[in-house]
Amino acid sequence: MIEFKNVTKIYDDGTEAIKDFSLEVRKGEIMTIIGPSGCGKTTTMKMINRLIEPTSGSIYINDKNIKDYNIHELRWNIGYVLQQIALFPHMTIEENISIVPELKKWSKKDIERRSHELLEMVGLDPSIYKQRMPSELSGGQQQRIGVIRALAADPDIIVMDEPFSALDPISRVQLQHDIKKLQKEIKKTIVFVTHDIDEALKLGDRICFMQKGRIVQLDEPEQLVMNPGNEFVKDFLGDRKSPWQISVDSILDQHTAYIIPTADDHTNIYPTEGTFVLEDENKYYKGFIVNGKMINARTLESKMTLYDAAEILSSSDQNLFPVLEGEKLAGVLTYQRIIEYLRSKTGKENGVIRQ
Amino acid sequence: MNEFITVFQNRQDMLLESTLEHLQISMISLIIAIIIAVPLGLYLTRYPKAAEPVIGTSAVLQTIPSLAVLAFLIPFFGIGTTPAIIALVLYGLLPILRNTYTGIKEVDPALKEAATGMGMNFLKRLTKVELPIAMPVIMAGIRTSMVLIVGTTTIAALIGAGGLGDIILLGLDRGADVNLILLGAIPAALLAILLDLILRLFEKISRKAGIKSFIAMLIIAVLIVLTPFMFNDSRQPDLVIGGKMGSEPDILINMYKLLIEEETGLHVGLEPNLGKTAFVFSALQQGSIDIFPEFTGTAIVTHLEEQAQSNDARDVYEQAKQGMKEEFGMELLEPMDFNNTYAVATTEEMAEQYGLQEIGDLKQIENDITAGFTLEFNDRYDGYVGMQEVYDLDIADIKTMEPGIRQNALSNGEVDVIDAYATDSYMIELNLVTLDDPENLFPPYQGAPLMRDDTLEEYPELEGILNQLSGKITDDEMRQMNYQVDYEDRSPNEVAREYLVNEGLLDN
Repeated sequence: MIEFKNVTKIYDDGTEAIKDFSLEVRKGEIMTIIGPSGCGKTTTMKMINRLIEPTSGSIYINDKNIKDYNIHELRWNIGYVLQQIALFPHMTIEENISIVPELKKWSKKDIERRSHELLEMVGLDPSIYKQRMPSELSGGQQQRIGVIRALAADPDIIVMDEPFSALDPISRVQLQHDIKKLQKEIKKTIVFVTHDIDEALKLGDRICFMQKGRIVQLDEPEQLVMNPGNEFVKDFLGDRKSPWQISVDSILDQHTAYIIPTADDHTNIYPTEGTFVLEDENKYYKGFIVNGKMINARTLESKMTLYDAAEILSSSDQNLFPVLEGEKLAGVLTYQRIIEYLRSKTGKENGVIRQ
Repeated sequence: MNEFITVFQNRQDMLLESTLEHLQISMISLIIAIIIAVPLGLYLTRYPKAAEPVIGTSAVLQTIPSLAVLAFLIPFFGIGTTPAIIALVLYGLLPILRNTYTGIKEVDPALKEAATGMGMNFLKRLTKVELPIAMPVIMAGIRTSMVLIVGTTTIAALIGAGGLGDIILLGLDRGADVNLILLGAIPAALLAILLDLILRLFEKISRKAGIKSFIAMLIIAVLIVLTPFMFNDSRQPDLVIGGKMGSEPDILINMYKLLIEEETGLHVGLEPNLGKTAFVFSALQQGSIDIFPEFTGTAIVTHLEEQAQSNDARDVYEQAKQGMKEEFGMELLEPMDFNNTYAVATTEEMAEQYGLQEIGDLKQIENDITAGFTLEFNDRYDGYVGMQEVYDLDIADIKTMEPGIRQNALSNGEVDVIDAYATDSYMIELNLVTLDDPENLFPPYQGAPLMRDDTLEEYPELEGILNQLSGKITDDEMRQMNYQVDYEDRSPNEVAREYLVNEGLLDN
């Protein structure tokens, strides 16, 4: 859909913003571009709608060099959402939404229908909001308008430049949620620049991690978190990696008192009180004993994340869970151990508890 | 107040005409200023490097006193509406230019980027985003400029452009007649307020209906202002006679006109009440007037920058005539009888109390009196400087003041003696006494028609016609005629005609 081929951008002051950059954004995906400030992510995005021209290399949309499109028509077909929201303060909400359809010379009726439809799509009652001025709306509402303004003329591509960074945390989360939901319906190709790793992980079908004008890692969110490409990415993810993402085999209970060997003689004589896990001499899992009786227990897989494990934990009344690596018993997970682990990942600073 | 109402009733016609002229000159100037400054301001936002010098230049233009700008323009554009409008446009440029530049520049860069990013071209971005957002700032500039222009237009009367300044100047000339000054000043202020309201309305409408409506309104305004010109088909005069400020020159030029039109088929136009001597003189040089009555003394002292070689009226005239001919290629025709020289005047009571007859008699009371002199008189040799030398005077307290207010200061008792012009009408009204000048310190100031040689070559008959007045009109006759115009409110034309008829120079 969008393809960067060996793109370089050197600014007039000599700053090399983008270095030999190649990237393909697939049709219908959300590509989040993230990196520290000055990494070139915004430059990359603005080259798509030609707000910035590359020094060398080419960019293609649908296999056609963007320089071969009429620049205005190109931009009409690329929705643009700005960090500063930038609704035109002298126009009503409806007029703001209608700009690109008007530039594309849609009929008055079509434009009116479209703005009505878009307002309803983001949950703003058209009869109330159409005639309002931007200043009468909250920040979150304004950026909702900013998003539907970009969608107005039904472009195939939408570029967003840190669109939610100026919003309060609650609006931000809500808009992220909305975008995710919206994308399921509209299936646009979206390039979404952000400096917020949570946002990038949450929204991106793929994440393009940039540093000093180059791509450091291009991956799906899970892969990026699980296998950061280098130390820098790891640092950037840093504390943002949730303790719930740990695999359960990393937090096994070290006490072995819960594990007892299977009786050689098959006499089936086990302690009549307490819960135990059975293993044979080859460390294969052999069963689960509660108060002297063997029962069919829920088990966990060793590479399962704690988050996924918690789902099994919460649906079971066991207080002890065997963790298996294939057929073999890797160890045991207990609630006590989970609590210990989570607490170790939580700090208390200045009276405020934080991860 | 009653007096003001009387003045208002007597001058209704003049007031209406002046107000319309004032409105027209102001509006034309403002519209031209807008047409120049707004696009220039827009242009400068694309070339910020040029902005500071250009805006700086327009700021410099604004610091030049308006009188100086007018004086500077006369040699190129003469007198009348054109130079006045040029000067007013120069005055009006800065606020509009600066506000347009600032207004557009201050538009949030994010909004400009949004507009560009959404695919607006340069013109769309300008008209849909930048201009509407900058409009309040630009309009503020236009309104400032408007007030400035409406105010400054009063000065345009000094170069014969008309407007409410005519009434104000007339008031100043008539001994600071407060009622007349107010009659000019109040409508000027009301005009500024009215135009401000209209501009605000403009702004409001354009905010709702977009930039196109603003341009449409501008075009309508241009049409309204220009319409009177299209129907103005008055005949172009063959000759234009100018006159300085005041009733005396006004009466004289009317006599010239009457005589010339009586004896030739020429159509004569008049430009009365032109401000300063220098303005009238450069207008004559430049050609926008052809004749004006000048004083022999002024020709020598002011134009030729010489001293009078004699105090004999005939010698002075010959010196002036020769000098003007050689220096400027101008013809000074035969002078009339009256001598509007400087005089030192005081009240009758004062003269009686101290037995004052001659200037030298002031010596005995020089430590006790206050003199009210014009700046010019105080500084001239044929003025107070000469009085000190020739009559050995050293008056303790001297106040310098505008010519128009001396006589009031004298009649109010604020000053005891003033310098005066011998034929001024207030001599009669205020019962003033002039002190004799036995040493002939003040050179003769006789009125005579001054014109360029080429005018006389083209119309040689003028010499004979205008010289009919040679040796006519005594001091007292002149004073009486001035009095009739200044205090009896008769028209200069009527007074001039009456005199000419009585003298047998004109048939009824």
